[in-house]
Order: sequence, then C-alpha cells, then structure tokens
Amino acid sequence: MSDWALVSNEIRAMIAYALILFVVAVFVFSYFIYFYKTKVKNPKAEESNLMLDVAYFHERGKRARQEDSYYISPMDESRKYGLVVCVSDGMGGMRYGDLISQYITDSIKEMHPISFFACENNADAIRKISNMIFDEFKQKGGATLAMVQIQNDHLTFYSVGDSDIILIRNDEATILNPRQNYVALLIKSLVRSGKQTQIAYTNSKARALVDYMGNHNPRVIYTKKPMRLLDGDTVIVSSDGVTDAIPYKSIPKYDARTARGMASNLKLSVKQKKYPRQDNYTGVVIKLQRSIV
Amino acid sequence: MIEYYTLMHKGNCDEYTDNIFMNFGSTVTVLMIYNGENELPLSEEEKTRVSTYITGCRGIPFDEVSSKLTEYLPQGTAYMLIHINDTLINIERHGQIYASIVKRGEIKLLPNGPFSIEDDDRVVCGTAEFFNYLSQPAILSDGLTAESSEEWMDNLVCRISERNHLAEGNLTAVTLIVRKDENVRV
Repeated sequence: MSDWALVSNEIRAMIAYALILFVVAVFVFSYFIYFYKTKVKNPKAEESNLMLDVAYFHERGKRARQEDSYYISPMDESRKYGLVVCVSDGMGGMRYGDLISQYITDSIKEMHPISFFACENNADAIRKISNMIFDEFKQKGGATLAMVQIQNDHLTFYSVGDSDIILIRNDEATILNPRQNYVALLIKSLVRSGKQTQIAYTNSKARALVDYMGNHNPRVIYTKKPMRLLDGDTVIVSSDGVTDAIPYKSIPKYDARTARGMASNLKLSVKQKKYPRQDNYTGVVIKLQRSIV
Repeated sequence: MIEYYTLMHKGNCDEYTDNIFMNFGSTVTVLMIYNGENELPLSEEEKTRVSTYITGCRGIPFDEVSSKLTEYLPQGTAYMLIHINDTLINIERHGQIYASIVKRGEIKLLPNGPFSIEDDDRVVCGTAEFFNYLSQPAILSDGLTAESSEEWMDNLVCRISERNHLAEGNLTAVTLIVRKDENVRV
C-alpha cells in the first residue's frame, strides 16, 4: 500500500483543485506574456501591414518626345512615410508638355515626406504647383496628374485631368478617379434633361480636358478620407496611353504573381498592338499582399 | 442635417414608373419603390395614398410608418423605407433595392434595422437597375472624393453611362450625406 492511500478524500480533492488552479494560472500567465509581447509592447506586429511590390514602365509611343513623367517615393521609407506614386502626362500638341509633366513630378518629389492624413493640405499644395506652372508657362502647356499614397493598408489619391488610378480587386478593374473631361459635363447636362447619353460620346471635343495642371486654381479631386485596401489588391497609376491601348476592363487579364510580371505584360501588350498613333505610355503597378512580419 | 440628391431617370422606357417619396425634417424619410420586370406599377390611387402618408409622417416612429406601408402598398412591392438623422439610420428593405454606406474609408451594404451613423457618413440607396453596373470600389471612391451628394450621384451616373448610355431601364437612386451643422455647405 502506498502513502497516497493514507491521504483522506478531502485532502485528495484539495490537491486536485490546487493542481487545476496551477495549470489555469500557468495558462493565463503564458497568455498574458504572449498578449503583452504581441499587442502591448509591439502593436505593429499585429497589424501585419500589406507588403508593397512595385514596378513600372515608361515608354515613348509614336510621339516625337516623351511627355509622361513619373515619381515613386523611396521604397525603404515606405513603412515610415507611406508610398507615394504619381504619373503626369503632358498635354499633346502643346509646347511645354514634357517640361511641365517633369516639373510636376519633381515638385511632388520635393514634397517628400507627404503627410498621409492631411489630404486637404496636400490638395492645396498640388493646386499651388499648378498655379506656379500657370505663372511660368502662361497656359502654353499643361499636364495631368494622378497620384496615390499608400500607408498601413489604406490609400489616398489625388487627380487632375484624365490619367488613371485603377484598382484591381477580385479580378475586376475599377478606375477610381473621375475624369475631368468634357464628356462628363455633357452627361451631367443630358441626365438633367432626362435624355440618354449616346450623343455625348460622339462629340468631337468629348475627351478634351476641362481641368489640368497648369490651369489657375484647378479642381484637385482627392479622397477626403483614406480608402481601405485589401490583401490581393493591385493599384495601377497610368497615363491614358495605357488605357487607350488596353481597355481598362481587360487589364486583369495581364495580372501576374509579381508587380514586375504585370508591368511587363502590360508594356508588351501595348507595344504589340503597334497602333500608328500610340500615345506615350507610363504605368506604375503596385501589388499588395498580406505578409507576416 | 442630411444633404441629399435624387436621381429619377426613365432610360429607354416610355415612362418613369419607379417612385421616390420623401419627407424632410431633422429626420429625413425616404420611400423608394422599384417597379422591376415582375411588378405592376402603383395605381394613381395607391400613389396618392402613399404620397399623402409620407408627406405627413414627420415625427411618427419608424416601426409605425413601416407597418402602415404594408397596408398601403400591394403585396410583393419592392420598396425601401429609410429614416435617417444625424446619428441613426433605420432601414426596411423589400425586394431588389439596396443601400450602401461609406464609413471610415470602407463600404458596406446596409442590413434591415437601425445602424448608427456619424458626421460625413455617406449613404447611397438605389434600385437593382441602378447598381447593375457599379462596383463597390467605384461607389466607395466616388463617395470619398465627392464634395456633395449631387457630385457623388453625377459621378456614379457617368460610370453607368459609360456602360449603357443610360439606355436601359428606369434608374432610381438617392445619395445622402450626414452633415453636422458646422459642415453644411451653402
């Protein structure tokens, strides 16, 4: 007979309770340590932000000179300040399209780091750039601007003109920024008269810009609040040379595992179309994927 | 206060047969009726009865308005009733009418029942025909960039126009923006 048999039932029950309590205490303590380390001490680890994969193409079409410009903020600072990408497309047929688009992207570069949440101030700063162009070039040229900023799984964007900011989600492409062209005004007017809108698209001036960088105090379209991005989203910032050659709805067909792969597919596709009047085409592809940090 | 803008477009149909009835006060009441392929349009008598009731429904609780409408509207009518003020939106939906809310950078379909709202939240309510060509990111980005409910609607209509030149069925929708008094734009 062991000594255990001599212990009374009450004592045995107490020992059992004590053991259970000990196990629960160890479990709670371990969970507390885990919670403290992951959420209190290092809250960013919990966020596991979307990882950004960026690639671009910047090609001259059949135009005499490259009038597109682009800017991508330093990738090594993207965790701290977010990623800023912009594309500017100089207005064809005007004298200083190339200089102005370069001026715009250089000015955006000088704004680095750009505050992510100060959307209204950023829009004001963009308007000031336009006013400086207005003063310097006296409306002898202009350009578009499409700019995105991505930080902590959220996106803000700014747009003047008709360059594109495209979101691909679940294999469906959506142009996020409204285009500031004449057709939008015609549609508005037709809808108010209760009419259908076929006629708006046949107007010879349908694609003419109603606002652009280089105009005095242009309307800067911008997100008033950041937009949530999701794992697997792709954002493309491009000049209209891309979407003129590839209808935006079909862009998901050119998707690839990496941003570089997708940028390469898009670039080759535009090139292979061999349009005799192909505009310059520039695009920055940003792929977002969840990654454990 | 609630800023709003309505769209009532007949498309390629001979007549506009959907309906929107509204009542304005600190709480805005919206009743949208969708006359889809399978429904008969409301008779003039039914329209008058519903219109008169909505015109005088200020201050009447949501549930009471809702139960009254089940008496006034023929069974099977697709409709959505909305009560919205600075802090709360209450919805009752029957059939192919939907409402989405843009809140804190995200878009969500609104379910039946009450839902708390805050300054600058944005709601779009429309028939299935209206939402047919609109993706959720499109509604969201237009909601986030628009300066007013009118501009939000214009941008959504541009997107629909790109796809069908507004040459299909009736289009019916309303955009609503919650504005605290100090943010009201004149």
